[in-house]
Amino acid sequence: MNTTPQALKMPEQPIRLKNAKKFFWAILLDIFLWSYSILVTYKIVYQRLILDLRFPEFAWSQPIYSLAIGAAVALVLLLTSKLSIGKAITGLYNLDENETVMNQPFAYFGYLVLVLTFIAGFFVSQVSVYEFLSSSGLGGAKRIFLALLDPNWGIFEDALFAAIETIYMAFIATTVSLPLAFLFGFLAARNLMDSSPILFSVYSTVRFFLNLTRSIEPLVWAIIFSVWVGIGPFAGMLALCLHTVSSLAKLYSEQIENIDDGPIEAITATGAHPFQVIWYGVVPQIVLPYLSFTIYRWDINVRMATIIGLVGGGGIGTLLMQYQGLAKWNEVGMLVIMIAFIVWMMDYASSKIRAAIK
Amino acid sequence: MLQVKELQKVYPNGTHALRGVDFEVAKGEFLVIIGLSGSGKSTLLRCLNRLHDSSSGSIQFEETEVTKLKGRPLRNYRSTIGMIFQHFNLVPRKSVMTNVLTGALARTGIFKSIFGMYSEEDKKRALEYIKIVGLEGRENHRADNLSGGQQQRVAIARALMQNPKVLLADEPVASLDPATSHSVMQYLKKVNEELGVTIICNLHFLSLVRQYASRVIALKDGLKIYEGEPLDIDEEWFRTIYGEEAVEVTIN
Repeated sequence: MNTTPQALKMPEQPIRLKNAKKFFWAILLDIFLWSYSILVTYKIVYQRLILDLRFPEFAWSQPIYSLAIGAAVALVLLLTSKLSIGKAITGLYNLDENETVMNQPFAYFGYLVLVLTFIAGFFVSQVSVYEFLSSSGLGGAKRIFLALLDPNWGIFEDALFAAIETIYMAFIATTVSLPLAFLFGFLAARNLMDSSPILFSVYSTVRFFLNLTRSIEPLVWAIIFSVWVGIGPFAGMLALCLHTVSSLAKLYSEQIENIDDGPIEAITATGAHPFQVIWYGVVPQIVLPYLSFTIYRWDINVRMATIIGLVGGGGIGTLLMQYQGLAKWNEVGMLVIMIAFIVWMMDYASSKIRAAIK
Repeated sequence: MLQVKELQKVYPNGTHALRGVDFEVAKGEFLVIIGLSGSGKSTLLRCLNRLHDSSSGSIQFEETEVTKLKGRPLRNYRSTIGMIFQHFNLVPRKSVMTNVLTGALARTGIFKSIFGMYSEEDKKRALEYIKIVGLEGRENHRADNLSGGQQQRVAIARALMQNPKVLLADEPVASLDPATSHSVMQYLKKVNEELGVTIICNLHFLSLVRQYASRVIALKDGLKIYEGEPLDIDEEWFRTIYGEEAVEVTIN
């Protein structure tokens, strides 16, 4: 009875290993932040602000020197002071709980990085009050706004049909994606997949591909598919499908991970087969949230289909692109009204339906 | 009929929930396990029907070594052991009837059960058990709309549907009010006496233990520290089991 099993001693070593890992990331983060601060100070604050150079020269030596100096500064400060953001984020500082984070030394370094980034942002995005308020610019803006306020109702039918095409495209993209998303939702749910190494590797693979496809914007997928299958609604639909599968599967799997384990335990205890456990223990708990997610996704897809149309995905977006290219602002005005209407309508309908099934 | 020897359970996070527990259960007993929260009661029950796998030791059920079972034989074994839970664990949004029928899943094919095609006999028996637990006429009500006591009775009917030889009850009355607690315990007693089902039950209240148990085991920190008649638990034993500062609370 007094024999201590090995499992009890286990946790000690991973903690030390974890700290080494944390320390490594803390150093990397600090080096990055200091190099970044030095580079920005030199390029923006010194060259643009103080020397007032319009087009400062770029040389690779600049970032490399910044990196070297930054690394030295970061290392010294990491070991000697409380200025390390990396240590703060990875939780290596034993903070006094009575003091607020805002007053810690590392927070001041954080403010410095924030201010530098703000200044740099102004220069990089070429903010210019002069351009914004120039008379020729204001004149052009006035012309467009007046045209938008006076839409060409003559193309109402075209706009309506294009809008219908967009809504249907979004609907088909959503429904075609459903079965795949449903399947991947289970495969990407950690609580169902961590019982054996094989299942866990399936889980990891599925998660990886879902993250990969989701992190590429549907707009980019639309460009790829319009080269692949030709410009038109089909390319747009494929792009939407891909993104919908990965987004829905993510939402579905999170829903599965959040379900109550009780019914699963109870159904397992009756001697049911794992498929029966899923059907009776999991599915009844997820049907309504799934429906809600899916309707919301359709709503999102209508908006996305409009944007995807801009790169040749068909529907109202493509029409908008064509009229904009011809500078026919009255027609563009009509299309903008149509888009605003369908987006508002879908948004309203989907939120009402989702509220009703909660 | 059930022999547990040197049973140990260490969770992956290092918690040593059971540190070598031995006991036997005879057919027809109403065995109650008492102990503080975290003493290993729930873990012990879950090891018995393999919801959790024990780390070492053996569990023998009618000459079968339970800890080695896998796949179909494991599911067959589980189907002979009913279980009810503190939070009832019914399938939400489904009717009482559907919930009770899930007790018959082990003997229904996967395809048939997905479409709810249970045998006529099972459906008849489900109605019978619903009647036994006093919910006649409510078979089509949604289970999660019933009161706590009623939900626990549905859970008992579901367990009975399995034709169990043993019924495990994990703190079956811990989330019920005193009156309902007694009603649920009465049903368990009825199941034990009239249907001859052996019952292993985790309980908190000693007054309930004295009233219903035929034998008692007490766990503390994963070890069995007491075994005997419910009426033999005196002041001193009570303090040993529940700690020096404990005061007995009664439930009437």
